Amino acid sequence: MRQQTTAPIDQIKGWILAKHENRTDVAADEDLIDNRLVDSLSFVEFVFLIQELSGVEIDMDTLDIGDVRTLAAIQKRFLAG
Amino acid sequence: MTTALIDTSERLRDVLNRLSSMSVEDYYNPYQVFDWPDSLPQEMWWMSPELTTTHGTEIAAELSQEQLYRLSKYESVNFYSLNVHGIRELLIEVTRRIHTDEFATPSEFFHHFIGEENEHMWFFAQFCLRYGGKIYKQPRGGAETIPPSKAASLLVFARILIFEELVDHFNSRMALDERLDDTIRKINRIHHQDESRHIAFGRELVRILFEGFREQATPEELSQVSDYLGRYMTYSFESLFSPQVYRDAGIPNPFEVRRRLLTGPRRPEFEAQVFRKTHSFLTRYGLIQAPMAAPESAR
Repeated sequence: MRQQTTAPIDQIKGWILAKHENRTDVAADEDLIDNRLVDSLSFVEFVFLIQELSGVEIDMDTLDIGDVRTLAAIQKRFLAG
Repeated sequence: MTTALIDTSERLRDVLNRLSSMSVEDYYNPYQVFDWPDSLPQEMWWMSPELTTTHGTEIAAELSQEQLYRLSKYESVNFYSLNVHGIRELLIEVTRRIHTDEFATPSEFFHHFIGEENEHMWFFAQFCLRYGGKIYKQPRGGAETIPPSKAASLLVFARILIFEELVDHFNSRMALDERLDDTIRKINRIHHQDESRHIAFGRELVRILFEGFREQATPEELSQVSDYLGRYMTYSFESLFSPQVYRDAGIPNPFEVRRRLLTGPRRPEFEAQVFRKTHSFLTRYGLIQAPMAAPESAR
């Protein structure tokens, strides 16, 4: 299992930062796609990570891409409560 | 430049003429060639065990024979689902280019290619829906991975080639595997026969497109192409490892299982086997400058 002591949203942020060594932080409202932090070749891993950490199964046919565009949106849609 | 290279290559013209003739001579009616029994036996391999993602791992050692059979069933449905999605993407790209000035020379062959790929997509989808009850979905999104703009067509056909060679590694083995049901062997055999032509064409076209690109590219652009293709190979390989498959096979903690498999000791060997020919081709012509890319799951 991934580290239980780190909040899920911070694990997602850590995953993004690990792929972008020139970055030290990702703002909660920063657009992950427009800013090319998640590209088409890393999107599958990104979605799997959100599913694993949230326990929510994501149906790609009904996914609103706005729900995964920012860390704040991910927190609100998949990790709150 | 690229157009001129395509149009003046005698070798490409010979390949296109030969492959187009073979497509005509070998043509079959896919809608009549399969018997499609109502069901396939559950207590047997649906995919050669050596090609399943858990083969030779501690995960497989924890599973019963019945669970391994069940896993091979869903892994095979995932494999054919990947084919359906991959073919959709390549049909879009090839259709976008047929009878344009740049691709006037291969357009005659593109007709065979598009027709055959459409038929492959049909029988793979039939298999998934008849025996798996679904086509697995594939997460798609994120920013477009931007390669140098001059490399757009090169990367489209390189991606198609990589995808076809990955699939052919599986098809060529399963076509001959007597542990598999006849229907499974037949799908793999027929696809392998057609794909042999598509791969021969793809290698020739990719070689020429890269020749044109390399004449004008900067070292940085060549490096970007190499990085992109390496990442695409990794992405394609990792798509064989599906948490949904592990869940359907009744394996607990599917995401953890996937991670263990992707970071486990068998992965490098399995990946090298799948891409042995592809990596050799891409390296020989300079499209890829380095060993296998770092795993997408660990980047």
